Amino acid sequence: MKPTTALFARSLWKGPHIVPLPIIRPKAGERSPPVKTQARSATILPNFVGLIFQVHNGKTYNDVRITEDMVGHKLGEFAATRKRFTYKQTKNK
Amino acid sequence: MPFIFGVSFVDQQLVSRALQSFYGIGPNVCKTLMARFNIHSTARIGALKDKQIDDLGAELSTMTLENDARRQLQDNIKRLRDMGTYRGRRHAMGLPVRGQRTRTQVSLTLALVEWDRDLAGYENVWTTFIYFRGLLLAKHQFHSISM
Repeated sequence: MKPTTALFARSLWKGPHIVPLPIIRPKAGERSPPVKTQARSATILPNFVGLIFQVHNGKTYNDVRITEDMVGHKLGEFAATRKRFTYKQTKNK
Repeated sequence: MPFIFGVSFVDQQLVSRALQSFYGIGPNVCKTLMARFNIHSTARIGALKDKQIDDLGAELSTMTLENDARRQLQDNIKRLRDMGTYRGRRHAMGLPVRGQRTRTQVSLTLALVEWDRDLAGYENVWTTFIYFRGLLLAKHQFHSISM
């Protein structure tokens, strides 16, 4: 009933948030190198499908392979920034 | 007792109440539906003409309602989970998905999560029942001892 609700987050006139990323189109038979980036807010475009991105999570770069479902999401959604709390016993008391 | 979308309704019931009894129809959708078929917001089921009931039924059968709507919701969450998004992970953990704070003010959510975790071991309904009966019994015994 309300197809526009999903677009409330960003004005339509701006279009998707496009970041110039160093994507190299591989020649036939060659594998493309992963794209290392810190642009977590970059929207995933249809031409990213099949590529591997290394998305910064604040500390390391996580490998993300882009599938068709992911188009329209942001790169940062696939690289978790938080670590689960684990208790470490102190050695020297 | 007219039938709408396979469910019989009492004549005295409000049309808006009747429509909103379906999963997938809330106040907004109900409003647009009733506006489309020229039904007044305080109209009752008994006041509907046969044609209006037929039209409503035909319209409802084209919409995703009840189990279809529930499945759609589950599928959407499952898609997020399978993609490995942050939102999917939060759904799986049963924690707030939209960036709410969890340092404080999620006591109910955390309690529900813990409850789910407790019940995870109790796979079917019968064992769950036994589990709760055990809890009740324990409570009862505690009371009788303390008295």
